Amino acid sequence: MSDLLDQGSAWLEGQRKKHATREVTYRRGADAVVVKATIGRTLFEQDDGAGVTVRVQVRDYLIDTADLVLAGQATLPAKGDRLDEIDAGKKHTYEVLPLGGEQHWRYSDPYRRTLRIHTKLIATEAV
Amino acid sequence: MATIIQIAEAVVAQLNAATFSQPLAAARLYAPSFELPDMETLHVTVVPRAISSSSLDRNRDNFSYEIDLAVQKKTDMAHVSLDALMALVEEIADHFRVGPLASFPDARCMDVKNAPVYSQEHLDELRQFTSVLTLTFRVVR
Repeated sequence: MSDLLDQGSAWLEGQRKKHATREVTYRRGADAVVVKATIGRTLFEQDDGAGVTVRVQVRDYLIDTADLVLAGQATLPAKGDRLDEIDAGKKHTYEVLPLGGEQHWRYSDPYRRTLRIHTKLIATEAV
Repeated sequence: MATIIQIAEAVVAQLNAATFSQPLAAARLYAPSFELPDMETLHVTVVPRAISSSSLDRNRDNFSYEIDLAVQKKTDMAHVSLDALMALVEEIADHFRVGPLASFPDARCMDVKNAPVYSQEHLDELRQFTSVLTLTFRVVR
């Protein structure tokens, strides 16, 4: 018997990718791939560790698990990977990093089709 | 100017006049707060931390002035980069441990603490090196 929830999830994932994404460049060292990503939550976080405050812009990206292919190999996000997003004439670079008590990524659905990747802004430059 | 501010200013002046293994530009701040994208460059920040005193005799008190000195930089997490920053922290600690404060010679550095040696949280969550030295200066006045 087919899994209706699985089929529904696949349809929703297709709609998300078709109607609610923008292109970003996912980089690891010299390897890069352009993927379609949905912008997840964006918030500001303050880290008061060691008595010195560091303000951080946090952003989640949702991308297809199957799209994350670097140097011809399917892969999963690693800490330190970077995503470049171009918006309004500026290139924003985000680094894949853990968030609070969470790991740097998790699957966003029960069928492992979509990755939710936690990132933090590390650079903005004009393009 | 408050004595602890004079000492903090003297620490900044001394840091900026000295030569270390990495060039640095120290600054005194009341409320250090940075944006993560700014941390690609080395930040050395001096912040007054605490004052305590005890009576020495009828006319004088023994004052302890604690000054925090933070060394921070975003890193690639390579051992060579982190080792270089650890070495810089040690150089700075040694600099104040062995020498007087040139522009405030009445203050003597009596204690240098570096605990924790670096922030595990900042390394894990920001890939940023953060190490805070606490220098304790003694002044009799």
